[in-house]
Amino acid sequence: MTVAAPRLPRLVIKAKGWAAGWNRLGTQAQFYAKTVASTGDALLNYRTELLRLIAQMGLGTGALAVVGGTVVIVAFLTVTTGALAAVIGYNQFADIGVEALTGFASAYFNVRLAAPLTAGIALAATIGAGATAQLGAMRINEEIDALEVMGIRSIPYLASTRLVAGVIVVVPLYCVAVLAAFVSARLCTTVVYGQSSGVYDHYFNTFLSPTSLIWSFLLAVSMAIVIMLVHTYYGYTATGGPAGVGEAVGRAVRTSLVSAGVLTVFVSLAAYGQSGNFNLSG
Amino acid sequence: MNLLTTASRPTIALGGFFALAWEVLLLIPRRPFAWREFFVQAWFVARVSLLPTLMLAMPYTVLVVFTFNILLVEFGAADFCGTTAAFATVTQVGPIVTVLVVAGAGATAMCADLGARTIREELDALRVMGLNPVHALVVPRVLAATLAAVLLSSWVITVGLVGGFFFSVFVQHVTPGAYVAGMTVLTGVPDLLVALVKAALFGLAAGLIACYKGISVKGGPAGVGNAVNETVVYTFMALFAINIIATAVGVKITL
Repeated sequence: MTVAAPRLPRLVIKAKGWAAGWNRLGTQAQFYAKTVASTGDALLNYRTELLRLIAQMGLGTGALAVVGGTVVIVAFLTVTTGALAAVIGYNQFADIGVEALTGFASAYFNVRLAAPLTAGIALAATIGAGATAQLGAMRINEEIDALEVMGIRSIPYLASTRLVAGVIVVVPLYCVAVLAAFVSARLCTTVVYGQSSGVYDHYFNTFLSPTSLIWSFLLAVSMAIVIMLVHTYYGYTATGGPAGVGEAVGRAVRTSLVSAGVLTVFVSLAAYGQSGNFNLSG
Repeated sequence: MNLLTTASRPTIALGGFFALAWEVLLLIPRRPFAWREFFVQAWFVARVSLLPTLMLAMPYTVLVVFTFNILLVEFGAADFCGTTAAFATVTQVGPIVTVLVVAGAGATAMCADLGARTIREELDALRVMGLNPVHALVVPRVLAATLAAVLLSSWVITVGLVGGFFFSVFVQHVTPGAYVAGMTVLTGVPDLLVALVKAALFGLAAGLIACYKGISVKGGPAGVGNAVNETVVYTFMALFAINIIATAVGVKITL
Protein backbone atom coordinates (compact mmCIF):
# COMPACT_ATOMS: atom_id res chain seq x y z
CA MET A 1 0.00 0.00 0.00
CA THR A 2 2.67 2.49 -0.86
CA VAL A 3 2.21 5.48 -3.08
CA ALA A 4 4.11 5.02 -6.32
CA ALA A 5 7.14 7.34 -6.43
CA PRO A 6 7.15 9.56 -9.52
CA ARG A 7 9.77 8.79 -12.11
CA LEU A 8 12.80 11.08 -12.05
CA PRO A 9 11.59 13.06 -8.98
CA ARG A 10 14.26 15.75 -9.14
CA LEU A 11 13.71 16.44 -12.79
CA VAL A 12 9.96 16.66 -12.22
CA ILE A 13 10.40 19.15 -9.36
CA LYS A 14 12.79 21.23 -11.45
CA ALA A 15 10.43 21.18 -14.42
CA LYS A 16 7.54 22.22 -12.17
CA GLY A 17 9.64 25.12 -10.90
CA TRP A 18 10.37 26.26 -14.46
CA ALA A 19 6.72 25.92 -15.38
CA ALA A 20 5.67 27.97 -12.34
CA GLY A 21 8.14 30.72 -13.27
CA TRP A 22 6.87 30.73 -16.84
CA ASN A 23 3.25 30.89 -15.62
CA ARG A 24 4.16 33.75 -13.25
CA LEU A 25 5.49 35.74 -16.22
CA GLY A 26 2.20 35.09 -17.99
CA THR A 27 0.07 36.22 -15.03
CA GLN A 28 2.24 39.29 -14.66
CA ALA A 29 1.82 40.21 -18.33
CA GLN A 30 -1.93 39.61 -18.03
CA PHE A 31 -2.12 41.89 -14.98
CA TYR A 32 -0.19 44.65 -16.77
CA ALA A 33 -2.40 44.39 -19.84
CA LYS A 34 -5.54 44.54 -17.68
CA THR A 35 -4.23 47.52 -15.71
CA VAL A 36 -3.30 49.48 -18.81
CA ALA A 37 -6.54 48.54 -20.57
CA SER A 38 -8.69 49.70 -17.65
CA THR A 39 -7.13 53.16 -17.29
CA GLY A 40 -10.14 54.56 -19.19
CA ASP A 41 -12.45 52.88 -16.69
CA ALA A 42 -10.47 54.42 -13.82
CA LEU A 43 -10.57 57.87 -15.39
CA LEU A 44 -14.33 57.65 -15.97
CA ASN A 45 -15.60 55.96 -12.85
CA TYR A 46 -13.08 56.38 -10.05
CA ARG A 47 -12.17 60.05 -10.30
CA THR A 48 -12.50 60.75 -6.57
CA GLU A 49 -10.14 57.89 -5.74
CA LEU A 50 -7.77 59.16 -8.42
CA LEU A 51 -7.68 62.66 -6.91
CA ARG A 52 -7.16 61.24 -3.43
CA LEU A 53 -4.22 59.13 -4.71
CA ILE A 54 -2.64 62.09 -6.51
CA ALA A 55 -2.76 64.14 -3.31
CA GLN A 56 -1.39 61.23 -1.31
CA MET A 57 1.46 60.46 -3.72
CA GLY A 58 2.54 64.07 -3.99
CA LEU A 59 2.69 64.64 -0.27
CA GLY A 60 3.26 61.16 1.13
CA THR A 61 1.54 59.49 4.07
CA GLY A 62 2.37 58.71 7.68
CA ALA A 63 5.93 59.23 8.82
CA LEU A 64 7.06 60.16 5.29
CA ALA A 65 4.67 63.12 5.26
CA VAL A 66 6.35 64.43 8.41
CA VAL A 67 9.71 64.52 6.62
CA GLY A 68 8.07 66.54 3.86
CA GLY A 69 6.63 63.95 1.51
CA THR A 70 7.65 62.70 -1.90
CA VAL A 71 8.56 66.15 -3.25
CA VAL A 72 11.17 66.78 -0.56
CA ILE A 73 12.60 63.27 -0.82
CA VAL A 74 12.96 63.44 -4.61
CA ALA A 75 14.45 66.94 -4.36
CA PHE A 76 16.90 65.83 -1.67
CA LEU A 77 18.14 62.88 -3.74
CA THR A 78 18.68 64.97 -6.86
CA VAL A 79 20.32 67.79 -4.88
CA THR A 80 22.98 65.30 -3.82
CA THR A 81 23.52 63.98 -7.36
CA GLY A 82 23.73 67.52 -8.71
CA ALA A 83 26.34 68.34 -6.10
CA LEU A 84 28.13 65.12 -7.03
CA ALA A 85 28.32 66.18 -10.68
CA ALA A 86 29.85 69.46 -9.48
CA VAL A 87 32.34 67.81 -7.08
CA ILE A 88 33.58 65.25 -9.60
CA GLY A 89 33.30 67.54 -12.61
CA TYR A 90 35.08 70.48 -10.98
CA ASN A 91 37.94 68.41 -9.56
CA GLN A 92 38.52 66.32 -12.67
CA PHE A 93 38.35 69.36 -14.94
CA ALA A 94 40.60 71.35 -12.59
CA ASP A 95 43.14 68.54 -12.95
CA ILE A 96 43.65 69.50 -16.60
CA GLY A 97 42.98 73.21 -16.02
CA VAL A 98 39.55 73.52 -17.60
CA GLU A 99 37.40 73.84 -14.46
CA ALA A 100 35.43 76.53 -16.32
CA LEU A 101 33.62 73.66 -18.03
CA THR A 102 31.87 72.51 -14.82
CA GLY A 103 28.70 74.24 -16.06
CA PHE A 104 28.88 72.02 -19.11
CA ALA A 105 29.16 68.92 -16.89
CA SER A 106 26.02 69.97 -15.04
CA ALA A 107 24.05 70.68 -18.22
CA TYR A 108 25.16 67.45 -19.90
CA PHE A 109 25.38 64.75 -17.21
CA ASN A 110 22.51 65.96 -15.04
CA VAL A 111 20.08 65.93 -17.93
CA ARG A 112 21.19 62.70 -19.57
CA LEU A 113 22.41 60.57 -16.70
CA ALA A 114 22.07 61.69 -13.12
CA ALA A 115 18.59 63.19 -12.97
CA PRO A 116 16.71 60.38 -14.78
CA LEU A 117 18.49 57.59 -12.90
CA THR A 118 18.09 59.29 -9.52
CA ALA A 119 14.49 60.20 -10.21
CA GLY A 120 13.80 56.56 -11.11
CA ILE A 121 15.35 55.41 -7.85
CA ALA A 122 13.41 58.00 -5.88
CA LEU A 123 10.11 57.14 -7.58
CA ALA A 124 10.58 53.43 -6.91
CA ALA A 125 11.38 54.11 -3.25
CA THR A 126 8.59 56.59 -2.53
CA ILE A 127 5.41 56.26 -4.57
CA GLY A 128 6.23 52.77 -5.85
CA ALA A 129 7.09 51.10 -2.55
CA GLY A 130 4.22 53.00 -0.91
CA ALA A 131 1.76 51.54 -3.42
CA THR A 132 3.09 48.01 -2.83
CA ALA A 133 2.86 48.42 0.94
CA GLN A 134 -0.73 49.71 0.76
CA LEU A 135 -1.99 47.12 -1.71
CA GLY A 136 -0.14 44.31 0.08
CA ALA A 137 -1.70 45.23 3.41
CA MET A 138 -5.12 45.36 1.70
CA ARG A 139 -4.56 41.92 0.19
CA ILE A 140 -3.43 40.41 3.52
CA ASN A 141 -6.43 41.92 5.35
CA GLU A 142 -8.68 40.52 2.60
CA GLU A 143 -9.86 44.01 1.75
CA ILE A 144 -9.34 43.40 -1.98
CA ASP A 145 -11.62 40.34 -1.81
CA ALA A 146 -14.16 42.49 0.04
CA LEU A 147 -14.02 45.05 -2.79
CA GLU A 148 -14.70 42.31 -5.34
CA VAL A 149 -17.62 41.05 -3.26
CA MET A 150 -19.08 44.56 -3.17
CA GLY A 151 -18.99 44.57 -6.96
CA ILE A 152 -16.12 47.04 -7.38
CA ARG A 153 -13.66 46.03 -10.09
CA SER A 154 -10.46 45.86 -8.06
CA ILE A 155 -7.88 46.24 -10.84
CA PRO A 156 -9.26 49.53 -12.23
CA TYR A 157 -10.08 50.80 -8.74
CA LEU A 158 -6.70 49.98 -7.15
CA ALA A 159 -4.08 49.43 -9.88
CA SER A 160 -5.14 51.60 -12.83
CA THR A 161 -5.89 54.61 -10.62
CA ARG A 162 -2.39 54.31 -9.14
CA LEU A 163 -0.85 54.02 -12.60
CA VAL A 164 -2.62 57.19 -13.79
CA ALA A 165 -1.85 59.04 -10.56
CA GLY A 166 1.84 58.05 -10.82
CA VAL A 167 2.09 59.36 -14.39
CA ILE A 168 0.39 62.63 -13.41
CA VAL A 169 2.48 63.11 -10.27
CA VAL A 170 5.79 62.41 -12.01
CA VAL A 171 5.62 65.50 -14.23
CA PRO A 172 5.87 68.14 -11.45
CA LEU A 173 8.13 65.81 -9.45
CA TYR A 174 10.59 65.54 -12.31
CA CYS A 175 10.55 69.33 -12.77
CA VAL A 176 11.51 69.67 -9.11
CA ALA A 177 14.16 66.96 -9.52
CA VAL A 178 15.88 68.56 -12.53
CA LEU A 179 15.73 72.05 -11.03
CA ALA A 180 17.15 70.78 -7.74
CA ALA A 181 20.03 69.11 -9.59
CA PHE A 182 20.81 72.29 -11.57
CA VAL A 183 20.59 74.60 -8.56
CA SER A 184 22.72 72.39 -6.33
CA ALA A 185 25.40 71.95 -9.02
CA ARG A 186 25.49 75.71 -9.55
CA LEU A 187 25.64 76.54 -5.84
CA CYS A 188 28.27 73.87 -5.21
CA THR A 189 30.48 75.22 -8.00
CA THR A 190 30.03 78.94 -7.42
CA VAL A 191 29.71 79.10 -3.62
CA VAL A 192 31.75 76.13 -2.39
CA TYR A 193 34.48 76.05 -5.06
CA GLY A 194 34.31 79.80 -5.69
CA GLN A 195 33.99 79.85 -9.47
CA SER A 196 32.55 83.07 -10.87
CA SER A 197 28.88 82.58 -11.65
CA GLY A 198 29.17 84.26 -15.06
CA VAL A 199 31.60 81.60 -16.29
CA TYR A 200 29.41 78.84 -14.91
CA ASP A 201 26.22 80.24 -16.44
CA HIS A 202 27.86 80.82 -19.81
CA TYR A 203 28.94 77.21 -20.28
CA PHE A 204 25.76 75.89 -18.66
CA ASN A 205 23.50 77.85 -21.03
CA THR A 206 25.68 77.03 -24.06
CA PHE A 207 25.44 73.28 -23.56
CA LEU A 208 21.92 72.96 -22.14
CA SER A 209 19.96 71.42 -24.99
CA PRO A 210 16.15 71.67 -24.87
CA THR A 211 15.75 68.51 -26.97
CA SER A 212 17.68 66.48 -24.41
CA LEU A 213 15.53 67.92 -21.64
CA ILE A 214 12.35 66.87 -23.43
CA TRP A 215 13.74 63.38 -23.97
CA SER A 216 14.68 63.25 -20.34
CA PHE A 217 11.09 64.13 -19.42
CA LEU A 218 9.69 61.40 -21.64
CA LEU A 219 12.14 59.01 -20.04
CA ALA A 220 10.88 59.94 -16.58
CA VAL A 221 7.25 59.43 -17.60
CA SER A 222 7.97 56.01 -19.12
CA MET A 223 9.91 55.05 -15.99
CA ALA A 224 6.92 56.06 -13.86
CA ILE A 225 4.64 53.80 -15.94
CA VAL A 226 6.95 50.78 -15.57
CA ILE A 227 7.56 51.41 -11.86
CA MET A 228 3.87 51.79 -11.02
CA LEU A 229 2.96 48.65 -12.99
CA VAL A 230 5.62 46.52 -11.26
CA HIS A 231 4.81 47.84 -7.80
CA THR A 232 1.04 47.47 -8.08
CA TYR A 233 1.49 43.90 -9.34
CA TYR A 234 3.65 42.85 -6.40
CA GLY A 235 1.31 44.55 -3.91
CA TYR A 236 -1.81 43.11 -5.52
CA THR A 237 -0.46 39.56 -5.37
CA ALA A 238 1.20 39.68 -1.92
CA THR A 239 0.84 36.52 0.16
CA GLY A 240 2.09 35.23 3.50
CA GLY A 241 1.03 37.51 6.33
CA PRO A 242 2.80 40.64 7.63
CA ALA A 243 6.26 39.41 6.60
CA GLY A 244 4.85 38.69 3.13
CA VAL A 245 3.94 42.35 2.66
CA GLY A 246 7.48 43.38 3.52
CA GLU A 247 8.97 40.78 1.20
CA ALA A 248 6.66 41.90 -1.59
CA VAL A 249 7.91 45.48 -1.15
CA GLY A 250 11.52 44.27 -1.34
CA ARG A 251 10.91 42.16 -4.42
CA ALA A 252 9.02 45.00 -6.10
CA VAL A 253 11.81 47.53 -5.41
CA ARG A 254 14.41 45.14 -6.82
CA THR A 255 12.41 44.38 -9.96
CA SER A 256 11.44 47.98 -10.64
CA LEU A 257 15.02 49.27 -10.16
CA VAL A 258 16.29 46.73 -12.69
CA SER A 259 13.49 47.41 -15.18
CA ALA A 260 13.90 51.19 -14.80
CA GLY A 261 17.67 50.81 -15.43
CA VAL A 262 17.19 48.67 -18.53
CA LEU A 263 14.47 51.01 -19.78
CA THR A 264 16.76 54.04 -19.33
CA VAL A 265 19.45 52.37 -21.44
CA PHE A 266 17.11 51.52 -24.27
CA VAL A 267 15.32 54.87 -24.28
CA SER A 268 18.68 56.70 -24.18
CA LEU A 269 20.06 54.61 -27.03
CA ALA A 270 16.89 55.23 -29.02
CA ALA A 271 16.67 58.94 -28.22
CA TYR A 272 20.30 59.99 -28.62
CA GLY A 273 21.34 57.36 -31.17
CA GLN A 274 24.81 56.25 -32.14
CA SER A 275 25.88 59.79 -33.02
CA GLY A 276 24.81 61.05 -29.60
CA ASN A 277 22.87 64.07 -30.83
CA PHE A 278 25.56 66.28 -29.35
CA ASN A 279 27.29 69.24 -30.94
CA LEU A 280 30.44 70.57 -29.42
CA SER A 281 29.87 73.92 -31.10
CA GLY A 282 26.65 74.30 -29.10
CA MET B 1 -0.43 69.90 21.77
CA ASN B 2 -1.25 67.77 18.76
CA LEU B 3 1.04 69.86 16.61
CA LEU B 4 3.78 69.48 19.18
CA THR B 5 3.55 65.66 19.15
CA THR B 6 3.59 65.65 15.33
CA ALA B 7 6.59 67.94 15.27
CA SER B 8 8.49 65.95 17.87
CA ARG B 9 7.94 62.57 16.18
CA PRO B 10 10.88 62.74 13.73
CA THR B 11 13.16 63.90 16.53
CA ILE B 12 12.10 60.99 18.70
CA ALA B 13 12.62 58.56 15.81
CA LEU B 14 16.07 60.03 15.12
CA GLY B 15 16.99 59.74 18.80
CA GLY B 16 15.76 56.16 18.87
CA PHE B 17 17.84 55.36 15.81
CA PHE B 18 21.02 56.77 17.35
CA ALA B 19 20.28 54.96 20.61
CA LEU B 20 20.04 51.70 18.68
CA ALA B 21 23.23 52.45 16.72
CA TRP B 22 25.09 53.17 19.95
CA GLU B 23 23.75 49.99 21.56
CA VAL B 24 24.82 47.93 18.55
CA LEU B 25 28.30 49.44 18.72
CA LEU B 26 28.57 48.60 22.42
CA LEU B 27 27.27 45.06 21.96
CA ILE B 28 29.57 44.09 19.05
CA PRO B 29 32.46 42.94 21.30
CA ARG B 30 30.17 41.11 23.75
CA ARG B 31 30.55 37.29 23.83
CA PRO B 32 29.08 34.97 22.74
CA PHE B 33 28.88 36.49 19.27
CA ALA B 34 25.95 35.08 17.26
CA TRP B 35 28.13 33.54 14.54
CA ARG B 36 25.41 31.28 13.20
CA GLU B 37 22.95 34.15 12.72
CA PHE B 38 25.76 36.24 11.20
CA PHE B 39 26.64 33.66 8.54
CA VAL B 40 23.01 32.85 7.76
CA GLN B 41 22.21 36.53 7.30
CA ALA B 42 25.35 37.30 5.28
CA TRP B 43 24.63 34.37 2.98
CA PHE B 44 21.00 35.45 2.75
CA VAL B 45 21.87 39.03 1.75
CA ALA B 46 24.44 37.81 -0.76
CA ARG B 47 22.03 35.24 -2.22
CA VAL B 48 19.13 37.63 -2.79
CA SER B 49 21.42 40.40 -4.06
CA LEU B 50 23.68 38.53 -6.49
CA LEU B 51 21.38 38.38 -9.52
CA PRO B 52 19.82 41.87 -9.08
CA THR B 53 23.29 43.47 -8.77
CA LEU B 54 24.29 41.81 -12.02
CA MET B 55 21.09 43.00 -13.70
CA LEU B 56 21.48 46.54 -12.36
CA ALA B 57 25.26 46.97 -12.79
CA MET B 58 25.14 46.26 -16.55
CA PRO B 59 22.56 48.89 -17.63
CA TYR B 60 24.11 51.52 -15.36
CA THR B 61 27.61 50.99 -16.73
CA VAL B 62 26.39 50.78 -20.29
CA LEU B 63 24.55 54.06 -19.79
CA VAL B 64 27.60 55.78 -18.30
CA VAL B 65 29.93 54.45 -20.99
CA PHE B 66 27.46 55.43 -23.71
CA THR B 67 27.05 58.99 -22.37
CA PHE B 68 30.78 59.51 -21.91
CA ASN B 69 31.63 57.98 -25.28
CA ILE B 70 29.45 60.52 -27.08
CA LEU B 71 31.75 63.18 -25.64
CA LEU B 72 34.97 61.28 -26.22
CA VAL B 73 34.10 60.44 -29.83
CA GLU B 74 33.34 64.14 -30.36
CA PHE B 75 36.81 65.04 -29.03
CA GLY B 76 38.40 62.22 -31.05
CA ALA B 77 39.52 60.48 -27.89
CA ALA B 78 37.39 57.32 -28.00
CA ASP B 79 40.40 55.21 -27.01
CA PHE B 80 40.19 56.73 -23.55
CA CYS B 81 36.77 55.25 -22.88
CA GLY B 82 38.41 52.63 -20.64
CA THR B 83 39.53 55.48 -18.40
CA THR B 84 36.06 56.92 -17.96
CA ALA B 85 34.47 53.49 -17.62
CA ALA B 86 36.90 52.49 -14.86
CA PHE B 87 36.60 55.83 -13.08
CA ALA B 88 32.79 55.90 -13.16
CA THR B 89 32.41 52.23 -12.25
CA VAL B 90 34.87 52.17 -9.38
CA THR B 91 34.03 55.49 -7.76
CA GLN B 92 30.26 55.80 -8.33
CA VAL B 93 28.41 52.95 -10.02
CA GLY B 94 30.00 50.18 -7.94
CA PRO B 95 29.16 51.43 -4.44
CA ILE B 96 25.79 52.92 -5.45
CA VAL B 97 24.46 49.86 -7.27
CA THR B 98 25.64 47.70 -4.39
CA VAL B 99 23.74 49.65 -1.83
CA LEU B 100 20.66 50.05 -4.01
CA VAL B 101 20.43 46.29 -4.15
CA VAL B 102 21.49 45.67 -0.55
CA ALA B 103 18.85 48.19 0.54
CA GLY B 104 16.22 47.03 -1.94
CA ALA B 105 16.72 43.31 -1.51
CA GLY B 106 18.51 42.62 1.77
CA ALA B 107 17.42 45.45 4.07
CA THR B 108 13.75 45.22 3.08
CA ALA B 109 13.69 41.49 3.81
CA MET B 110 15.50 42.06 7.12
CA CYS B 111 13.03 44.77 8.09
CA ALA B 112 10.06 42.61 7.07
CA ASP B 113 11.40 39.66 9.05
CA LEU B 114 12.15 41.68 12.20
CA GLY B 115 8.88 43.62 11.84
CA ALA B 116 6.83 40.44 11.63
CA ARG B 117 8.63 39.14 14.72
CA THR B 118 7.96 42.40 16.54
CA ILE B 119 4.21 42.41 15.92
CA ARG B 120 4.02 38.72 16.86
CA GLU B 121 5.73 39.78 20.12
CA GLU B 122 8.63 37.38 19.59
CA LEU B 123 11.12 40.07 20.60
CA ASP B 124 9.29 40.58 23.89
CA ALA B 125 9.43 36.80 24.39
CA LEU B 126 13.21 36.92 23.88
CA ARG B 127 13.49 39.68 26.48
CA VAL B 128 11.41 37.63 28.94
CA MET B 129 13.82 34.74 28.44
CA GLY B 130 16.67 37.06 29.38
CA LEU B 131 18.11 37.44 25.86
CA ASN B 132 18.81 40.89 24.47
CA PRO B 133 17.24 40.98 20.98
CA VAL B 134 19.71 43.66 19.89
CA HIS B 135 22.61 41.35 20.75
CA ALA B 136 21.00 38.20 19.38
CA LEU B 137 19.37 39.56 16.21
CA VAL B 138 20.41 43.12 15.35
CA VAL B 139 24.21 42.96 15.77
CA PRO B 140 24.72 39.96 13.44
CA ARG B 141 22.34 41.47 10.85
CA VAL B 142 24.10 44.84 10.79
CA LEU B 143 27.54 43.23 10.48
CA ALA B 144 26.27 40.80 7.85
CA ALA B 145 24.88 43.66 5.75
CA THR B 146 28.23 45.49 6.02
CA LEU B 147 30.27 42.44 4.99
CA ALA B 148 27.91 41.54 2.16
CA ALA B 149 27.98 45.11 0.83
CA VAL B 150 31.80 45.13 0.70
CA LEU B 151 31.95 41.76 -1.05
CA LEU B 152 29.15 42.64 -3.45
CA SER B 153 30.73 45.95 -4.43
CA SER B 154 33.80 44.17 -5.81
CA TRP B 155 31.46 41.91 -7.79
CA VAL B 156 29.59 44.94 -9.13
CA ILE B 157 32.84 46.66 -10.15
CA THR B 158 33.98 43.52 -11.99
CA VAL B 159 30.65 43.13 -13.76
CA GLY B 160 30.61 46.83 -14.63
CA LEU B 161 34.12 46.80 -16.10
CA VAL B 162 33.45 43.65 -18.13
CA GLY B 163 30.09 44.99 -19.32
CA GLY B 164 31.68 48.31 -20.26
CA PHE B 165 34.38 46.41 -22.16
CA PHE B 166 31.88 44.44 -24.22
CA PHE B 167 29.74 47.51 -24.91
CA SER B 168 32.72 49.68 -25.91
CA VAL B 169 34.47 47.06 -28.01
CA PHE B 170 31.57 45.38 -29.78
CA VAL B 171 29.02 48.22 -30.01
CA GLN B 172 31.17 51.34 -30.10
CA HIS B 173 34.18 49.77 -31.90
CA VAL B 174 36.92 50.83 -29.49
CA THR B 175 40.21 48.89 -29.62
CA PRO B 176 40.20 46.29 -26.82
CA GLY B 177 43.83 47.00 -25.93
CA ALA B 178 43.16 50.73 -25.63
CA TYR B 179 40.22 50.08 -23.31
CA VAL B 180 42.27 47.88 -21.00
CA ALA B 181 45.30 50.20 -21.08
CA GLY B 182 43.13 53.21 -20.30
CA MET B 183 41.56 51.70 -17.22
CA THR B 184 44.34 52.61 -14.82
CA VAL B 185 45.00 56.16 -16.01
CA LEU B 186 42.74 57.88 -13.50
CA THR B 187 41.78 55.05 -11.20
CA GLY B 188 44.26 53.56 -8.77
CA VAL B 189 44.42 51.64 -5.52
CA PRO B 190 43.33 54.66 -3.40
CA ASP B 191 40.12 55.02 -5.44
CA LEU B 192 39.40 51.33 -5.02
CA LEU B 193 39.97 51.53 -1.26
CA VAL B 194 37.68 54.57 -1.01
CA ALA B 195 35.04 52.64 -2.98
CA LEU B 196 35.26 49.67 -0.61
CA VAL B 197 35.06 51.94 2.45
CA LYS B 198 32.03 53.62 0.90
CA ALA B 199 30.36 50.26 0.31
CA ALA B 200 31.03 49.27 3.93
CA LEU B 201 29.50 52.54 5.20
CA PHE B 202 26.46 52.06 2.99
CA GLY B 203 25.97 48.47 4.17
CA LEU B 204 26.29 49.57 7.79
CA ALA B 205 23.75 52.38 7.34
CA ALA B 206 21.33 50.10 5.45
CA GLY B 207 21.56 47.38 8.14
CA LEU B 208 21.07 49.83 11.01
CA ILE B 209 18.09 51.57 9.38
CA ALA B 210 16.44 48.26 8.45
CA CYS B 211 16.85 46.88 11.97
CA TYR B 212 15.66 50.08 13.65
CA LYS B 213 12.56 50.24 11.45
CA GLY B 214 11.99 46.51 11.96
CA ILE B 215 12.07 46.52 15.76
CA SER B 216 9.98 49.69 16.07
CA VAL B 217 7.05 48.46 13.94
CA LYS B 218 3.52 49.19 15.14
CA GLY B 219 0.09 48.22 13.88
CA GLY B 220 -0.21 44.90 12.04
CA PRO B 221 0.54 44.03 8.40
CA ALA B 222 0.00 47.61 7.20
CA GLY B 223 2.59 48.72 9.77
CA VAL B 224 5.15 46.23 8.45
CA GLY B 225 4.49 47.36 4.88
CA ASN B 226 4.95 51.01 5.83
CA ALA B 227 8.08 50.23 7.85
CA VAL B 228 9.62 48.50 4.83
CA ASN B 229 8.64 51.44 2.62
CA GLU B 230 10.26 53.86 5.07
CA THR B 231 13.35 51.65 5.23
CA VAL B 232 13.79 51.94 1.47
CA VAL B 233 13.28 55.72 1.49
CA TYR B 234 15.56 56.44 4.45
CA THR B 235 18.28 54.08 3.24
CA PHE B 236 18.35 55.71 -0.17
CA MET B 237 18.46 59.17 1.42
CA ALA B 238 21.27 58.12 3.77
CA LEU B 239 23.07 56.56 0.83
CA PHE B 240 23.05 59.72 -1.24
CA ALA B 241 24.02 61.87 1.73
CA ILE B 242 26.93 59.57 2.64
CA ASN B 243 27.94 59.32 -1.02
CA ILE B 244 28.38 63.06 -1.54
CA ILE B 245 30.48 63.42 1.62
CA ALA B 246 32.52 60.29 0.96
CA THR B 247 33.12 61.37 -2.64
CA ALA B 248 34.30 64.83 -1.59
CA VAL B 249 36.65 63.26 0.97
CA GLY B 250 37.79 60.65 -1.56
CA VAL B 251 38.55 63.32 -4.15
CA LYS B 252 40.70 65.16 -1.62
CA ILE B 253 42.57 61.96 -0.68
CA THR B 254 43.17 60.63 -4.16
CA LEU B 255 43.98 63.78 -6.09
